[in-house]
Amino acid sequence: MSTKQQKKLHLIDTDIHEKVTYEDLMPYLEQPYKRYIEDCHWIQEKHMPFTQPAVAGVNRADAEVPDGRPAGSDLPFMQYQLLDDIGHEVGILTGALDPSPSSMHGWYEMATALARAYNDWQIEHWLEKDERLYGSVHIAAQEPHEAVKEIERVGSHEKMVQILLPIDDIMWGDPYYHPIFEAAEKHDLMIGMHHNEPPVYYGKWPRYFIEWHTLIPTAHMMIVTNMVFNGVFEKFPKLKMMMIEGGFTYVPFLMRKMDQQYRDLRHEVPWIQRMPSDIIREHICFTTQPLEEMSKKEFLQTFEQMGSDDMVSFSTDYPHWDYDNPYEALPNGLDEELMRKLLSENARNFYPKLPNRKEED
Amino acid sequence: MEEVVCSKEDLNPGEMMESTFGRHSIVVCRASDGHYYAFLNRCIHQGAPLSKGKICGAPEPTDTLGEYNFDREGDILRCPWHGREFDIRNEGRMLANEKFKIKNFNVMEKNEQVIVYK
Repeated sequence: MSTKQQKKLHLIDTDIHEKVTYEDLMPYLEQPYKRYIEDCHWIQEKHMPFTQPAVAGVNRADAEVPDGRPAGSDLPFMQYQLLDDIGHEVGILTGALDPSPSSMHGWYEMATALARAYNDWQIEHWLEKDERLYGSVHIAAQEPHEAVKEIERVGSHEKMVQILLPIDDIMWGDPYYHPIFEAAEKHDLMIGMHHNEPPVYYGKWPRYFIEWHTLIPTAHMMIVTNMVFNGVFEKFPKLKMMMIEGGFTYVPFLMRKMDQQYRDLRHEVPWIQRMPSDIIREHICFTTQPLEEMSKKEFLQTFEQMGSDDMVSFSTDYPHWDYDNPYEALPNGLDEELMRKLLSENARNFYPKLPNRKEED
Repeated sequence: MEEVVCSKEDLNPGEMMESTFGRHSIVVCRASDGHYYAFLNRCIHQGAPLSKGKICGAPEPTDTLGEYNFDREGDILRCPWHGREFDIRNEGRMLANEKFKIKNFNVMEKNEQVIVYK
């Protein structure tokens, strides 16, 4: 929330959730899928066992649309509360939490149809309604050839910047995903990881939300490690990956650990011909939220240990409960150049389809 | 400096409202004891407007694993964003760490009015 005294930020926000309802998707769904929802009241089975964490479930209590519709479901209210208030230059949509086609276990035809409908709805109601908003391609990766068809169908849209993949029991470094990466490269799309329904806890859920939410970075660490050592970035040199909503303070540890392991065990992965930390610096970017409260010194030490301040990008996660306020979440006193990198330029350099910087007011 | 921030009848126990004190946006809360409390309307964490949160109770600390003893309904103010819990009747101190508190103001009740002063 800005105040009158605060300068607009020219933010590139790498995690904003637009909210869809099944009703919204009806005009974009074909038969017989539409019938299952309208007549049979089908909804995707969701598994999270927890009571929801904050005052208004997973959302900011003040983000509910004034007429009572769910947070994130109304573009004008999002413009008022977020995009105009903060001064967003770009917002990247990462939506699709419920339904979430990529996390369906079974009935992949429905998952594929939902992903198609979702992408069409996202383009028409968000990307083409506000020039600041850019989108993520949703796919049902459970059917990779259908997923590739969907990437071919919408991936060339000028405002689609990444593909979100499911976090599940096929790790992304597996050759299973190569056709998807090939399609991504073809359309200048990056790969995005944002946790959703799937677990981070040995295939199940921990007993408490606080455990699950604490451990989200572990799922990110697994994917980073897997993608690097399986040689994905060697086979697809244009490919990059944005790790969304896992934070970034685990990265120094992971880089050091991977480098140390590589010195000992390089023989097992001879297709890796440079230090893992160099691959991470070149191919992977991390969003800030949810930020831990850190002093300026602690914050800067993290970048020093990463050997770069080019690979972290600010995200709000609006309208979710653990939203990070770009005016308040970062330590005070960061220098202007670092702020500019975190708030916009690192994301701009990461996504090739984002526009050049506009002149400041 | 003193200022009328609301009427006593504006709030029932367990309710809150936004008001102003000088140039400050404040939140006036009426706790379960029927008394009025006032705080700066800004969370100390990331600046969320507390008046958009919720007045509720909270599970009491317990020595028994797995036990929930939900108590103090009407005495806890939770932030609308991250849900941090602040104790209305204990100077707005954070339940998770009492060293931290939201800024509180002096309040008196006079006739039918609630007055904040310093």
